[in-house]
This record gives sequence, structure tokens and C-alpha cells, in this order.
Amino acid sequence: MTEPLLVLENVTKNYGAIQALRGISFSIGKGEVVALLGDNGAGKSTLVKIIAGGLEPSSGRMLFEGKEFLAKTPAEAKAAGIETVYQDLSLCTNVDVVANFFMGREITRKVLGIPILDERAMEAVVGKALASAGTRIPSLRTNVEHLSGGQRQAIELNRFVHWGGKLVLLDEPFAALGVEQTRRGLEMIRQVANQGIGVVIITHIMQQAFQVADRIVVIRQGVVAGDVARNKTSPDAVINMITGETLAGAGPAG
Amino acid sequence: MNPRSRKALEFVLDNLVWFMLVFVLIVFSLFVPNYFQLGIFANIIEASSVLGVMSIGLSLVIIAGHMDLSVESVAALSAMTVGILFCSSGIGMGIQLNPQWLMVPVSLLIAMAVGGIIGAFNGYLVVKVKMSAFIITLASYIWVRGLVLVISGGRSAQDLAPAIRWFAIQRLAGLPLTAWIAVACFVLFSLIMAKTPFGRHLIMIGGNETATFRAGIRVNRNLVIAFVLAGAIAGLAGWLLAIRTSGATANLGVGLLFNAFAAVVIGGVSLKGGVGTLPGVYAGVLLLSSINTAINLMGLPANYTQVIHGLLVLAAVLLDAFKQTIRQRLA
Repeated sequence: MTEPLLVLENVTKNYGAIQALRGISFSIGKGEVVALLGDNGAGKSTLVKIIAGGLEPSSGRMLFEGKEFLAKTPAEAKAAGIETVYQDLSLCTNVDVVANFFMGREITRKVLGIPILDERAMEAVVGKALASAGTRIPSLRTNVEHLSGGQRQAIELNRFVHWGGKLVLLDEPFAALGVEQTRRGLEMIRQVANQGIGVVIITHIMQQAFQVADRIVVIRQGVVAGDVARNKTSPDAVINMITGETLAGAGPAG
Repeated sequence: MNPRSRKALEFVLDNLVWFMLVFVLIVFSLFVPNYFQLGIFANIIEASSVLGVMSIGLSLVIIAGHMDLSVESVAALSAMTVGILFCSSGIGMGIQLNPQWLMVPVSLLIAMAVGGIIGAFNGYLVVKVKMSAFIITLASYIWVRGLVLVISGGRSAQDLAPAIRWFAIQRLAGLPLTAWIAVACFVLFSLIMAKTPFGRHLIMIGGNETATFRAGIRVNRNLVIAFVLAGAIAGLAGWLLAIRTSGATANLGVGLLFNAFAAVVIGGVSLKGGVGTLPGVYAGVLLLSSINTAINLMGLPANYTQVIHGLLVLAAVLLDAFKQTIRQRLA
């Protein structure tokens, strides 16, 4: 692992008396792909939301690029360079593909000091980004509500590839994708990581984790149950970590 | 379907309410005696200016996925404030400013500030206390109207200062300046909604608030601005109302809210948020106004107006559902 990009130290999250996270510690390096695995309710999505600024942790601390980091809002996380693709899609179906791609980061030009949307410039950028990723959408001006689930997810994936940043969090990004699109999505992830961007991918599918990840982190009942390099473990060992039958193959936690 | 006829169909769907307006105007011109006159058309635009301005503010908030029931009472409060300050009879204080024209910007600013403050109050409660906009603005609808009664003591103010009245009397191309103000507001806010990031963000917030928050858009700030704008625009509507009636009465503008809702819905704005354009709303306003004019000209009892408006709203909602099914087939 190269120098750590994000370090989590003993991050916890309580909902009243319920402890969703009981102390999570792990780190992600630059250009590293970490697959976050765990059973339903293990706390994966909670963890992603804490890093991405949707939730505040109850205790613990995070270091981003060596500095103390806590995003109170997604806007702050974004400003720091953290992009997130959520499990439930974050698209506004009532506007077109271009508007969704640029959500919150519209290209404008000033007319009399007033920012005016530069639709043509934005459409050109989106067209290029989608074409280079091999995504075909009939018209960039169709509202997203008229697109299929796969097309929608492709827009989200292309969005994060385009904006990049320093760290990308993907919460089950391939749930609605077909075989071919998933393969392309995994390629995209490698491509992004090769640019030196850290990637955290949550998935349920063992095969995907082993295809793309450098390291596999397993969360069980709110703690890290295993943190191993991909080439030093096997799917069976990881499944055992997820279900908690044994800790065999698990590296030192944290 | 070839791309060309598909484009044409989409154009018709996008501007359906304008086609309805033209259709209604043609039918009335053919069958209602004396309808086809420039004066009548000018009157339709003139009569719709207060309602039109109010509908703009209401649309902004509804497009952003919320609701503002207080616009009618806010307009009344602004009108009453302007009436009390600048009317010379009744409960008017008859304040004079030198030079005379200074009264115009001052009264306008006061009216919009009154509205803006109530809008900010509504917006703050919706955003910070996370209460339903429906309930908060329903409360405002009631207490603001109450405030109108309190400050007026139930009495009225008459004889608005001539310098302000001038806007209702002075005509440009056959329309009083008050009507031009309404038209200008529609143009301005249509551009804001269609061409600026602020407008785009409001539409997206109405579509999926969570997604816009995650994308880093400052949702709360935008929503408060929308409520303040709705209030300030309602204040402007109140200012126009005071000018039109040359004063203010305690029950000024009662019932406007429902007409504004009707116009907004007929204009193609979805009450679920995220859908609708302001030119469509203006067409909705004009459609209501042209039907009112036809009812007057035909000598039907005015009681029919409400029945027709109600049916029209119903028709608009049905039409909207129909449009959705066609669009789904197009995609």
C-alpha cells in the first residue's frame, strides 16, 4: 500500500441504544481499490454515509490526506474530493441527462454578471464522457424518468468517473446493471484507480470483489472482522469472515 | 415514428396549455357576441395581472416540491400596509413624500419587504424545524389575514396617492402599466427558472431532494430563497391590487389563492414538485381570465364561474396524466 489517503480510527455510530458501528478502523491508499463486504445490516452503508458527509459519527476520527477530516454535509465531502455513488440512485428523474450529470456543478457563463447555464458546453462534455465509456443513450435531452435502470446507473457511474476527485465511494453500484455493463463498470473502476484515486466499493457479490479489489475489508456486526489483501485470501475464507464462523485468513484488524 | 413528427408532438405536449388558450379564444370569438375585440383581449391581460404575479411565487415554491398557501393573505397584508401609509381617506395616513414619484419605489419596497419577511418566516420553519410547508403556510394564511383585520380594524383605506395610482392609469400599447409589470415578471422569472443554476436547482430539488443534497447543492438555502421570493412576489401582487382598487379593504383578494392554484395546475405545474414552467402558468392565468370574460359577456350569473374553474382544474389534472402516458410511449 502506498501512502494512506483516508484513515478511519475507531469510528462508531449509535442510533439511541443501538450500535450500528462499534469501532471501525481501516485505511485506503491512493490508487487502491478496497472492497467492503459484509452481511445485510453489518453497517457498510452507514460507514459510507459517514465518510461521504451524510451522517456524523458518534465518536472516533478520520484522517484524509493526513489531516483530521469530518464532512458535515455532502458538499464538504465533495469539496475535499470525495465522490459517492449511492445504492438508491441519486438522480433527479424530472430533468434531462445533462442536468443530472452536472448536478450542482453547472457550467455557466456570465451575462451582465448573472450566471447563465451554458447548455451547449455541458451537452458536449456529457456526450464525450458517455461516448468514451461506451454508454449509449438515445438523447441527452430526454428526462431520466424515461430511461431504463441500467441507463440510469450508467449515468451515475460515468458521473463519478468524469469528476474523479481523490476518493470514490461506491455503494452497490452494479445492482441494476447487466453482465456486459457490469464488466465495463469494473473496468472503469480499475481505470479510475490507475489515476491514483482511492476506491471503496461495497458489494454483495464475491466474484466482483475478487475481480476488482486490491484489498478486502469485511465488516461484521459493526466491527472490522477481516482486512486482507486479495491475493492472500480466497472467497471461502471471506465468506467465513462475513458469517463469523472463523477468523481464519484474517489479517490484523485495523 | 420519425424524429420530426416526434419533435412536433413533444412541442405540442410541452406547450399544450397555450394551444388550449388559443383554442378557447377562437371558440369564444366565434360563439360569444362581442368577444372578438382588441379591448376585450387587453382586458383579459389586465384583469389577470394580480393573479398572474401571485401565481409566479406560488409556482416557484411548488416546483421546488413545497407549498405556499399564505400568498393570498400576504398580498392582502402588503396591500393594506401600502393603503394605510399612502391613502388619504378612510384609515389612510396620507403620507406624502417629496418628490411625489419617490412614493412609488418606497411603497413597492415596503410591500415586497412585508411579503419577504413572512416568506422568510415560512421558509425558516419549513427548512429548520422541518415542518410540513402545507401546515405552516396554512397557519400563515390564517394569521396574516388576521393581522390585516387587526391593523385595519376591519375598515378600509381609500384614495391612494395619485403618483402610485398612475401605474393603473398610464397605458402603453393599450395596456396599463400594471399589466406590463405582470408580463415583465413572467419574462424575468421564466428566464431565471430556465437559464440560471438557481432555477435549475429548484427544479431538481423538487424532483429529488435527497439527490440534490448528496450532490452538494445547498438545498436549505435555495428553499428559503424560494419562500422569500414567493412572499416578496405576493407582496408585489398586493401592491398591484392596492393600485387597482385605489386602496385596500380588510377582505381584499379573498379567494385569489384558489384561482392561483387553479392557474398553476392548469399551467402544467405538478403539485408533486419538479415539473412545470412559468410560461405555462401564464397561459393558465390567461385561460382562466378569458373564461371569466366570456362568462361576463354571455351574461351568465357569476356563480357559474366557480363551477367552471373547478371543472377546469379537474380537466387539467386528467390532461396531465394523459400527457404522461403519451410521453412514456415516446421515450
